[in-house]
Amino acid sequence: MKELRSYFRQPAWVLGEFISTPLWFFFFALGVTLFAPTTSTTPQESGGFSFFLLGFVFIILFSTAVWGIGQTVRNEQTAGTLEQFFLAPASRITLIIGRWARVFLTDTIIIGYTTLLLYLIGGGLVTLSNPALFLLGLGLFEIALIGFGLFFAGLTMRIKSYNTIANLVFFGYMIICGALFPITVIPMPFRYVSMVIPFTYYIDLMRHAAFSTPTILPEVIEYTASALLSVSMLLVGFIAFNKIEESARKQGSIATS
Amino acid sequence: MIRMETTSGVRAILQAWAAIFWKGIKHYTRYPGNFVLYLVIPFLFTLLIFGMGQFVGGNNAATNFAARTGTTNIIVYEILGSAVWMTSWVVVEDVGVVLRDEQMKGTLEQNFLAPVNRFTLLIGMSLTDVVITTGIFFIVVGVTLAIALPSAFLTIIPAFLALLVGLIPMFGIGFLFAGYIIKFKEPYILTQIVNLLFATLTGTYYPVTLLPYWVQFLSGVLPQTYVIDDMRRIVLANQTLVSLYGSVFILLALALAYPAIGYAVFKQFEKKAGVTGEFSKY
Repeated sequence: MKELRSYFRQPAWVLGEFISTPLWFFFFALGVTLFAPTTSTTPQESGGFSFFLLGFVFIILFSTAVWGIGQTVRNEQTAGTLEQFFLAPASRITLIIGRWARVFLTDTIIIGYTTLLLYLIGGGLVTLSNPALFLLGLGLFEIALIGFGLFFAGLTMRIKSYNTIANLVFFGYMIICGALFPITVIPMPFRYVSMVIPFTYYIDLMRHAAFSTPTILPEVIEYTASALLSVSMLLVGFIAFNKIEESARKQGSIATS
Repeated sequence: MIRMETTSGVRAILQAWAAIFWKGIKHYTRYPGNFVLYLVIPFLFTLLIFGMGQFVGGNNAATNFAARTGTTNIIVYEILGSAVWMTSWVVVEDVGVVLRDEQMKGTLEQNFLAPVNRFTLLIGMSLTDVVITTGIFFIVVGVTLAIALPSAFLTIIPAFLALLVGLIPMFGIGFLFAGYIIKFKEPYILTQIVNLLFATLTGTYYPVTLLPYWVQFLSGVLPQTYVIDDMRRIVLANQTLVSLYGSVFILLALALAYPAIGYAVFKQFEKKAGVTGEFSKY
């Protein structure tokens, strides 16, 4: 509730997010139009609209980990309230997940609003061919994102230039994990990089559930591997956060902004 | 530290500019990550658009692109747009937000009480960015041309001259934001939207003719539109600045108009802030 109150206390920020998200979509759509067959003028005519819209959802979801969870610690650090935050009689993880819940809620609203806006201006809707499998993929993705976000939140106690790293990771994710285009577009030696990053498989599974596209690995293996990766990432994130915090407490670097 | 030996005349102005310039450079060298980000982002966005384009266009992506732009050199075409976008990004982020940063640190009043004219102060703040944007341009465009179009490498010089003329109106736009931000205090979301609008309206990754006619009117009043178009013509179509005199004249006109409008708006906001005590509000 504190996070939600803090968010709605800055109406310009809320309004800005609602304006910028669809604007990013238009910006990319116009750029891509140049490559579409000359007989069609927009990506939706060439069948890419739903693909890109879903790609934007993947990007927004990933941003909840980087800027939702990861930045929690950095925000409190720069505001000078991190010590009070850590001295509160609640688990660190609970506090961080609380922040994630706020970002997830507001991002879901933004996704819904953007989809509706694009539908109203004639963009069409994303129809999921298998909603249950899509939700399963989404659930696995979110578990992995929380783990990743926790690791990132820990990292902010070590690295102060958070914004640079967050941006590089974010853009790297957009390009390497195939959020906006399938990894088959990536030339072969670089495609191996995509294939060792877990997020590639969550995106692939959700896209498979939405559009019945072929999966990178055989379907059962990909679901099993993704489930194992989700649990592993959550555990690694949790352990890494605790270890980094312990080390930062010893060095007295928790509140160094 | 630069100690001002006089408070009036040309020498005082130069000393003030030197002091503000070095302060800005120190800030950049203290946080090199920001500069690295400005260098990397143009490549990342270009790769992203390129990847999406390959997916949409398949084997004919380059042919479709050439049919609409007149060139098959996708990377150079997109990088030139990216580099100009990054330049305007730096100007909006730095010149627009710098006074808000001073306000948050509690040092805005000291800056405004210094025996330095506001215009001198704003120009001084822009000088660091001239160096930073020059660095971004030469590194990003230079590396791209050296790899993707070495035969046109020397066109980087006239392309840079086009950018240099375009920087003046861009700084004028920066002054406009500086005043607005003192008043409304929400710089980050505003700059994000403005940067995105600039990218969309100025044809960063596509010709502006692709935009609806009424949007093209908005593109026509933004200096970046002319800079991007001129650079593409110079680098990819072997044109010279002389042959592009029409758009150069427009850029020069904008170079007179924007700083004058920006400064006038800034002074209005400053006047109001002085009456209402907005300067020291966090």
